[in-house]
Amino acid sequence: MKKLLVLSLVLILPFMAFAQGSGESAAADDGTIRIALIIENTIDDKGWCQSMHDGITQAIAEMPDKKIEYSYAEKMLPVDAGSIARQYVAQGYDLIIAHGAQYKNLVLEMAEEYPNVSFAFGTSSEIGPANVFTYMPESEETGYINGIIAGTDTTADIVGLVGPVDSGDAARYNRGFVLGVQSVNPDAKILVAHTGSFSDYVKSSEVATSQLGNGADILTGSSQQAIGALRATAESPTAMWVGQDLAQLTTEEGKAKCIAASAYNYAAVVKELVEKIENGTLGGECIPMNFANGGFVFDYNPDLKAEWVSPELEAKINETIESFKADPDGTLADWASVDYSTL
Amino acid sequence: MLDIITNMLSMCIPFSVALLLASLGEMFNQRAGVFNLGCEGVMAMGAFVGMLIPFLAGQGGAVAPVYNVLGFVSAALLGVLFGLFFGVITVTFRAPQGIAGIGLQMFGVGTAGTLFRHFVGGTQSIPGISDIDIPLLSKIPFIGDVFFSHNIVAYLAYILVPVAWYILFKTYWGLKVRAVGTNPRAADSMGINVTRTRYEALALGGALAGLAGAYLSIAQAKMFSDTLISGRGFIAVALVYFGHWHPVQIMGGALLFTFAQTFQTVVQSMGISFPYELAVMLPYVLVIVVLSFTSRNQTTAPTALGKPFNREIRT
Repeated sequence: MKKLLVLSLVLILPFMAFAQGSGESAAADDGTIRIALIIENTIDDKGWCQSMHDGITQAIAEMPDKKIEYSYAEKMLPVDAGSIARQYVAQGYDLIIAHGAQYKNLVLEMAEEYPNVSFAFGTSSEIGPANVFTYMPESEETGYINGIIAGTDTTADIVGLVGPVDSGDAARYNRGFVLGVQSVNPDAKILVAHTGSFSDYVKSSEVATSQLGNGADILTGSSQQAIGALRATAESPTAMWVGQDLAQLTTEEGKAKCIAASAYNYAAVVKELVEKIENGTLGGECIPMNFANGGFVFDYNPDLKAEWVSPELEAKINETIESFKADPDGTLADWASVDYSTL
Repeated sequence: MLDIITNMLSMCIPFSVALLLASLGEMFNQRAGVFNLGCEGVMAMGAFVGMLIPFLAGQGGAVAPVYNVLGFVSAALLGVLFGLFFGVITVTFRAPQGIAGIGLQMFGVGTAGTLFRHFVGGTQSIPGISDIDIPLLSKIPFIGDVFFSHNIVAYLAYILVPVAWYILFKTYWGLKVRAVGTNPRAADSMGINVTRTRYEALALGGALAGLAGAYLSIAQAKMFSDTLISGRGFIAVALVYFGHWHPVQIMGGALLFTFAQTFQTVVQSMGISFPYELAVMLPYVLVIVVLSFTSRNQTTAPTALGKPFNREIRT
């Protein structure tokens, strides 16, 4: 028994030492910036996690003069993420992005423990400690654009909105969508339902099916679960979809049903984070994402544009995007004023 | 309003199928004295394999129906293997069933996710199977939409309810299953091979759980992701208690749970001022409430449920 205990300790101790780290970042001194990403889903989920991964890889590609190392950890629940975050610190990573508000407590705890390492999490508009960045997509802008399309293209005057939860950027997107629909079609009925989950694809497809059955002919949804709703929309011969991630345009059903999609351009955020860290700012700021600072991108489905986006509609969209760009403080879409019970 | 009610009811049958299949399978497990909390993991593996075959055949595009059938058959066979594997752990080695079930759940979900990433990559969808309008019957107002415009597997699943009842209560094998789940020592003294019967029940239960998973990936969501099952395996286990280990009552539970799901969706969509968090919880609260009120009625519960059988030890 004693031998077994000793053997177990010999095997376990090195891992414990590795997992705990030294308490000091062993940052590379050759100018390399090391970025680590922690996500709860996968880098190819065609939604929330993929958009950040794509943003980081795009930012690296757009900064060829900088030496950047990048690593990621997928399927990390908040309770498990502390271990991998400490490993990244021990390996000398300069910036650890925990992509999701669910990581807030972990990030704040780690930030206090490792003051020389920069952390970032979002979405959140809070101003964190001196070594914590937050980022907040002002996604009422993308919702508003998609709402204009839905409100214009609906023939039944009923549109559906499949939400994950009513908080964070999802709440902003959904309410922006409502405002967009109402701006062009005040009489449209907007069916809003939440699944209570970011990743329950089956439930989102059930919600979409319910809304289709109740007459909705243009639907939208956000987060990775939206793929389930898009899949359900593809079953309808007439209904169409407006997306909240450009990756949805590349799916088979997206090619057939997704009129247009907007997406978060995290590359802009990542580039800003890298520049700030190089200049010695490790945190204490919230980086907004909007059309004005390139935080959003928007594109049409080339196969569907001619049929579903009239020149007038395109002009309206362009005009709205320009007005968003001219109003970086985001006063045009008062998303907080939307009350679903009045729809 | 009638349209809304029709739409709500028409979703109950197709959306309840996965729960119905999985809970019927779990019913056979539990009737034989073994509760399998790993149902979620078996469903995940079934969902993955069920989606994989039509996906590989068509690379996401249209495929011949035979590939969907192959997907279902493969999912059922894999479910049988998982059921037998669970039998080795809990029947032969007599490991605690609860812990073993949780292990199987983690193993199934983790393996399905890992294999999915290897063989498929990111989130992908398949055409899956479509609804069939039964001639004439589907044209009947209200009834046609509610009962006669669903996919073929949904019909087969509901036909399985009387079949399961017949097997359980009218066949010698069903009698053996009930005997080993109620009093295995007495069954053993009557010459029934308890171990073999429990293995057979677990194999059948695994097959149905695999089919339930494949239904989600081939017929309902028409895609696979790591989180596709999202707790439905555990709901299936709860529905067995809810339905007092009886196929018809389990069917009622599956329909009631699904109705509550669709009802809360409609409540949200109608813009009724009601916190959506509470609406989402409604089906689960309903299960707990009904279980609370019916838990005293334990007369139908297999009395040897969860107890490993060892013929060498007198208890």
